[in-house]
Amino acid sequence: MNLLPKHKKPLQTTNEFDQVIVGNSLSKDAWRRLKKNKMAVISVVIVIIYILLAVLAPVLPIYPYDEIILDHQHLKPSFVKNAGQLLIEKRMADLYTQAWRQERLTLSTEEDDMLWAWIDKNEANKVWDYMFIEGNKQLAEGTFTFNKAEQRTLDNLQRKLKTDLQITVNKIWYTPVEGKKQNIAKLPVDTIAGLYAEMIGSTSEIEIEQYSREIEQQLMKTIKTQNVGLSEEEYALLLEKEIEGLSKKKHDALIRENVLAKIKSRAKEIAASDLKEAATDESASFPLNKEITIKGPLSADVKATKMHERRYYLGTDNQGRDMLSRIIYGGQVSIAIGFIGTITSVIIGTILGALAGYLGGKVDYFIMRVVDIMYGLPYMLLVIIAMAIFGRNILNLFFALAIISWLTISRMVRGQIMSLKNQEFIEAARSMGAPTWRIIFRHLVPNSLSIIIVFSTLRIPSFIMTESFLSFLGLGVQAPFASWGSLVGDAVGGMTLYPWKLFFPATAMTIFLFAMNFLGDGLRDAFDPQSKNQL
Amino acid sequence: MPNNKEKKPLLEVVDLKQHFPIEAGFIFKRQIGAVRAVDGITFTVNEGETLGIVGESGCGKSTTVRSIAQLYKPTAGSVIFDGLDLVNAPHEQMLDARKNIQMIFQDPYASLNPRMTVRTIIAEPLDIYRRRGMLDPSVTKESIENRVEDLMERVGLNRAFKNRYPHEFSGGQRQRIGIARALALNPKIILADEPVSALDVSIQSQILNLLHDLQDELGLTYVFIAHDLAVIEYISTRVAVMYLGKIMELSRSSNLYKNPLHPYTKALLSAAPIPDPVIERKRQRIILTGDVPSPNVERFGCYFYDRCPYRMEICKNNIPPMKRMNEHHEVACWLYE
Amino acid sequence: MSNGNSLKTYKNLLEVRDLRTHFKTDAGIVKAVDGISFTLNEGETIGIVGESGSGKSVTNLSIMRLIQSPPGKIVGGEIIFENKDILKLSQRELRHIRGNEISMIFQDPMTSLNPFLKISTQMVETIRLHQNISRKEALAKSIDMLKLVGIPAAEERIHNYPHQFSGGMRQRVMIGMALSCEAKILIADEPTTALDVTIQAQILELIQELAKKLNTAVILITHDLGVVAGMCDSVCVMYAGKIVEKAKTEKLYAHPAHPYTDGLIQSVPRLDKAHDGKLFSIKGQPPNVIDLPDCCPFHPRCHKVMEVCRHHYPPTKDLGDGHEVSCWLYIDKKEHPDA
Repeated sequence: MNLLPKHKKPLQTTNEFDQVIVGNSLSKDAWRRLKKNKMAVISVVIVIIYILLAVLAPVLPIYPYDEIILDHQHLKPSFVKNAGQLLIEKRMADLYTQAWRQERLTLSTEEDDMLWAWIDKNEANKVWDYMFIEGNKQLAEGTFTFNKAEQRTLDNLQRKLKTDLQITVNKIWYTPVEGKKQNIAKLPVDTIAGLYAEMIGSTSEIEIEQYSREIEQQLMKTIKTQNVGLSEEEYALLLEKEIEGLSKKKHDALIRENVLAKIKSRAKEIAASDLKEAATDESASFPLNKEITIKGPLSADVKATKMHERRYYLGTDNQGRDMLSRIIYGGQVSIAIGFIGTITSVIIGTILGALAGYLGGKVDYFIMRVVDIMYGLPYMLLVIIAMAIFGRNILNLFFALAIISWLTISRMVRGQIMSLKNQEFIEAARSMGAPTWRIIFRHLVPNSLSIIIVFSTLRIPSFIMTESFLSFLGLGVQAPFASWGSLVGDAVGGMTLYPWKLFFPATAMTIFLFAMNFLGDGLRDAFDPQSKNQL
Repeated sequence: MPNNKEKKPLLEVVDLKQHFPIEAGFIFKRQIGAVRAVDGITFTVNEGETLGIVGESGCGKSTTVRSIAQLYKPTAGSVIFDGLDLVNAPHEQMLDARKNIQMIFQDPYASLNPRMTVRTIIAEPLDIYRRRGMLDPSVTKESIENRVEDLMERVGLNRAFKNRYPHEFSGGQRQRIGIARALALNPKIILADEPVSALDVSIQSQILNLLHDLQDELGLTYVFIAHDLAVIEYISTRVAVMYLGKIMELSRSSNLYKNPLHPYTKALLSAAPIPDPVIERKRQRIILTGDVPSPNVERFGCYFYDRCPYRMEICKNNIPPMKRMNEHHEVACWLYE
Repeated sequence: MSNGNSLKTYKNLLEVRDLRTHFKTDAGIVKAVDGISFTLNEGETIGIVGESGSGKSVTNLSIMRLIQSPPGKIVGGEIIFENKDILKLSQRELRHIRGNEISMIFQDPMTSLNPFLKISTQMVETIRLHQNISRKEALAKSIDMLKLVGIPAAEERIHNYPHQFSGGMRQRVMIGMALSCEAKILIADEPTTALDVTIQAQILELIQELAKKLNTAVILITHDLGVVAGMCDSVCVMYAGKIVEKAKTEKLYAHPAHPYTDGLIQSVPRLDKAHDGKLFSIKGQPPNVIDLPDCCPFHPRCHKVMEVCRHHYPPTKDLGDGHEVSCWLYIDKKEHPDA
């Protein structure tokens, strides 16, 4: 009898009952389970939206996050009213309140009591809102009229709102006597300096000289903010070192930046005076794109918009910057810190944990004692000290967080590897003569990947929290950059007067953290073999 | 099925000992004892034959094959393969020789990396030795690919399943994958560590037949471990019975079953159930009392002394030497001195 | 089931009728147990043999109603124990039956003993849960039980923790605990699979002896045909959630009717018989029991397969003397139009 199944099987993947078998990997399986988890799917969508917003921030139609418009300080969030209308409202509410205080605008005694109570409780917003409605009513009924001075202020404001322009200089062109128009940002430094010198009637040598001095001053300023409480000589010494360390290329770049900024501001001035007329007599429609001549061969692409026609959907902060844009850019920083910090710590932790777990013995002992010792050190304090020593910028923050947070993951990976390394497939690999690195990185780490992924997902929120905490304390990112933490930190001061400054970044952050946590839980369920429902 | 080829020892194991230290101490570890998993065993395996090793759990049979495969560094003794002592050979030379020694494992679920596809698993030994530069330079990625497909066909797997993951296969199919992997480097000897004991009865015979066919076709030599005596009897040319890290009896498999000499072998044979109710109900069993004692203590008498129904005074303090009863039969028991 | 010419007059103790237990998984519904029936008589030992995944363990978990739900669910059938349907009992009544009337021992005794409690505590608790006796009496009874299962120095060993026993001893303790309440049925789920041959022989001997002494009926689940041959009065062979053959042990081994049973018996290497060449082997793999079409699930592996096997599940036929088989080979046209 021929008993072994020798008959030729067709190269199709059906089983003996002619049912098609569909291939399936463990990760596909996990993905399928994740898709069944509604919360996790919603979280994935939310996280993707956040990441898209953060990545696409530069091309989104939002105002620049660092553009300061002092007129627009603390505007309320509004979908329907633009900045101008809000400013008027604010001014009118102010005038009504003043009038009420001067008793030119009379209210009932109950209303008076209520208003005074609000004032006592520092709830100015309520007072203004109430007065604005009441004042408008009385104005319409004719029981109150603005006096001349007040009317004038309002008229001035109206006019100003109509004519104020926000001008952005996009590109500056250089048109030589013969030849093509060139973008001067792409020209060599000397040429730019020469052009600028020509523009203001000086020589390029003088200009470069002057700018070198300016750069020195700028450097000195940063040095002084980073190192507080040193003597002048020490500062001078540090400065010298800094300048020495500055390469020619970097030096040139600094000069170019400065000169370009000067040219741009000149272009802006010229454009402003040019377009003012047009704005007043409404001979041009805004927004307006135009090329204007600065002087001689220099010209600039200018975009002019009516400044007060802007709409701030999430309000503005204390320097008139758009909160929406700041939250999106802040998210960019926070999410980047979350991801990059997690990835760095996961890489360090996985490598060290895997080595400790697989090699065991002295290596394990050494690595684990380092981990124990680092665990014993106060975590926050270390980060704070590191930030104080190496200066407060985002890169140092990444670094400080990453070197401290690989501990947990290395312990976890070590445990996982130790339980895996006695499995038969590892013995099989060893019996085949596989070298150590291959066993670790082809066999052990891929099999620990699911818990590493789950852990990382749950780790990201904690990174963001830490970053926010540091930024809140003022140790994190520095202005004009923003992160969710620094936005919340900035907002705390005027919490009752300008609640939107606190509410929106806090909400944005909370939603993201929730999503990450749900996603982490979902991933854990998806990867967990316990829920595999296998017989 | 004794293979009547010319008998030439392919593998010699001489006085092999494998002790695992038991350590204690907080910072400075010191050894306080040892688990004597294998405690001085000697045997040879001839080319083309199957040496079966049988014994209860903890008798050191798995450790023996792992020591032969150099997964552990033996405490003492030597493992001579094709004239080279693997224990003391330089690493490179040892690796090169070990290409010819491959293993098949017990648990078809744990012995395959769940994150690798079947083709990666089967190609892995080839890949490793290619990277080490120990393979013929004519071996390329494509030739490995072909070899994987050939191997899959050979062990009875559909080559269309090449890119599947192990968890999509049943136990028997996984064991076939494991066998294909062991065959990839064209080894001379295969160490099979209980390759069928985790399988269902109907699958067990498939795998035994497959191993049998492969031996005929490729002239393989097996060292085959099992705790099931019937399986060992079926597959082996010669059988070694192990107890507590020692070989108790070593014999041609037909001899052993017809004429067991050692009391332990007798007990084992009588304990093995036979799937026939008529015979089974008539059988008289030698029921051993007690459990296998701890392998952590050094012994000066017969290792089977505690459980032996025929123990004598001499057994207590004298380790019985291996005695050759006839050409194919050796036994370590004072009864036969 | 009629026991026409049986010497003893058996009393029906447990009757399983058309039991169906299904599991809901991501891949589909797994019909782990799909319509099985058998009867267990007083003092009888019945063997359930099958490969992994054939549903033999699920059958017995269903009898104890220990199926985890979800994903599992007993979707149909009856389990009549002493004129009551176990499937319709309340949790309270169930607790009375479990461990008292029907006890269970498992493959790995370590999983069913609490590692943090002394054996004495666990045994006394179990006994007192079901019997209204004092702590002292229960302890004395426990010690007697341990002595009965052959634990040396039972008076002292009873105060040990489970990890202080070896595998074989632990299994003895489990058996002692299971029988301490004079259970009428002992379900032994692969009781010796984790044990060595010599220990296996001890434990089987013990179960057999105790069953006789206490007149306990035993359901023995195993994949080892040798164990069944020595222990059981009758055998059910399961395949893919169904009983394919059911017979007295001697009959089954002497004249296996179903090709699967036949193949199984032939494919085991035997110590007592000389052999030349190859073992018989059943080709193919055990089926995955998800979404099986209407056919004999064994047909792809069967060496006697016919056309009808591919399209319909065979009806069960009684070959006489309680030898029942589900196979088209034994059905002729007169009995069934499909044959």
